[in-house]
Amino acid sequence: MNHRTPQQATASDGRANDGGGPTAAVRLEGITHEYGASGGRGRSSGDRTVTALQDVSFDIQAGDIVGLEGPSGSGKSTILHAVTGLLVPTAGTVELLGTDLTELSDRKRTRIRRRHVGIVFQRFHLLPSLSARANVALPLVQAGIPRSTRRERAETLLEQVGLGDRSTHLPGELSGGERQRVAIARALVTDPDIIVADEPTGELDTATGDDVLDLLTDIGRERAVLVASHDDATLSVADRVVTLRDGRVVSNAG
Amino acid sequence: MRDDDEFDPENDGTRRTRWSGLVGVSVGRLWKRTVRTKSGRIVATTGAVALTIALLIVVTGIALALADGGTVTDTDADVQIAPEESGTLSAVDGVEGPRLGETNERAEAIGSQDGVDHASPMLVEPVKLEPTVEDGDPQTILLVGIVPDDEPRTVGGLPTAGLEPGDTHYNDGNYDGPQRGEIVLSEAAADRLEAGPDDEIDVAGSQFSEDALTPSVTVRAVETAGDGDDETPIALVHASELQTVAGADNGQLADQVLVWGDSEAATAAADDAYSDAAIESTGGTDPSSLFGDGLAFATSLLALIVGVAICASFVATTAGMTVNEDRRMLAVLESVGFPTHSRLLIIAVSTLLTTLGGALLGIVLGVGGIYVVNAVAGATVAPGAVAHVHPVFVPYAVLVALVSGLVAVPYPLAVAARTSVLEEVGR
Repeated sequence: MNHRTPQQATASDGRANDGGGPTAAVRLEGITHEYGASGGRGRSSGDRTVTALQDVSFDIQAGDIVGLEGPSGSGKSTILHAVTGLLVPTAGTVELLGTDLTELSDRKRTRIRRRHVGIVFQRFHLLPSLSARANVALPLVQAGIPRSTRRERAETLLEQVGLGDRSTHLPGELSGGERQRVAIARALVTDPDIIVADEPTGELDTATGDDVLDLLTDIGRERAVLVASHDDATLSVADRVVTLRDGRVVSNAG
Repeated sequence: MRDDDEFDPENDGTRRTRWSGLVGVSVGRLWKRTVRTKSGRIVATTGAVALTIALLIVVTGIALALADGGTVTDTDADVQIAPEESGTLSAVDGVEGPRLGETNERAEAIGSQDGVDHASPMLVEPVKLEPTVEDGDPQTILLVGIVPDDEPRTVGGLPTAGLEPGDTHYNDGNYDGPQRGEIVLSEAAADRLEAGPDDEIDVAGSQFSEDALTPSVTVRAVETAGDGDDETPIALVHASELQTVAGADNGQLADQVLVWGDSEAATAAADDAYSDAAIESTGGTDPSSLFGDGLAFATSLLALIVGVAICASFVATTAGMTVNEDRRMLAVLESVGFPTHSRLLIIAVSTLLTTLGGALLGIVLGVGGIYVVNAVAGATVAPGAVAHVHPVFVPYAVLVALVSGLVAVPYPLAVAARTSVLEEVGR
């Protein structure tokens, strides 16, 4: 299914995974992260730091839906941010399709995120002054896709998530479920290999949440999906659930 | 959901479409915020810029009116023909400048062209006149010689209607026709001479060549100078009579030829008659006159500096606050793969566009303001316009707003660059 890999897209970006076997879509190796350290690796100070993750390792294959559960403060969001490249952990490696994100510059991580990762937030995070269609097409703007292609692509995806007739509506004119579906369409618009969802049903009622989960399951057939949630119904769609407590993996069960 | 595998964003992307897309997002977002979500910050920024620019335009308009040539050049003629200044440069300061020749004859020729209503030589000569009171010292009055016609016109800030139409003394260049002996005084001139309507005033003797006539003239009217100038003692007389007194009849000399009528036809006729002279359409006011008048230049420069400073402060503050509200948008853009420079571009374009919108609104307000100022001044203290409008105000205002925007833009950019995506998306 993957027609691009980060190595192809960014030949000199990072080191490729040279281990045997199939390349995992996402591989976390010995991730440790301390908040209060002044940022990335090698610069941590001992004073007033909070350890959010400690030696976390797991991987996700393409086609897998992996759930991430744990109480608040257990490190779920930190893992999601590390996988999306929004955060560089203090120690360990985060590989996306064989490329180590921790070795890359901000700019290259941003590029890999744009090309290979789609993010779905709990609170949708749509731009309120852009139409549903423009919100969906947003990642394509930075990719330099011509306007007509962007529109066409965004409308196709809105159709697929059942919002073909809402493409010119502003987010404020849509219900919560509709907004989350727009957000999912936006996450899919660059045809990413990895989808990261943070409490995707957290703001939705049960019925709407079920619709969104159906959509995520559908997406997950050929992509690697990482879903963080407190909600059992949401975690039930996962092939495997990684349980975190105090920044450590306490269970990684199918 | 995977039936679109052939879509590969990286294959289609070009730098040009990316930039136009980013600008498009800025514009679209700004437009929707103004029209549909009615953002208060945008209204505040636009309004603040508009008011500053409007103020700048009004003050510059007043400065322009201040600089606009003074009373002598205050005419409603559509075209002025003057000798090229560079043609004859005198090394001695105060020596009379170059004058046009054959002016009466050529003015007649110009006046007979299609589209031209009237043309007249204009000779300006300081002449000593005797006051009406006994033992008073002769007073120097700036006499402006013209050829009036039936229409009410303004020359030297004074209406020509008080003078009998035509110029009988000229008599086809012989300067032997009957003299009318009429004079229209400005209030300042009337004060100096202590003269009123129908008084007779003598030209002081022996200031010109001995064979020159030293006639007396009758005051036909005392008028207020058009731009409210109550300082310059100025008066209108018939051109040929002044030429005779000043010795300018030999060669029919005059400082300018004024032409009324359709501006293009008047310019063409003027060009035919005086191919080497400077021909100026006076339909508008010349902004370059600002540089020749110290007070006006200082006023407009001050307005410019204050305008840029206030405008930039308003834009920086309101745009900074807007960016603060926009932190989540910036975080979302980063999370969907917009690098720092693209995010900053969107902020910069939004800030500059808002400023530009404010400038356009400010131009409308400023021009309206000038009309209001003129109406108020006209109704109270001044007899005429105290502020002028000029088309160059439009690019000037836009440029000032853009400069202010550029001065202000680093602040919102700094606020934007400090945004932490993790804090925002985590909320």
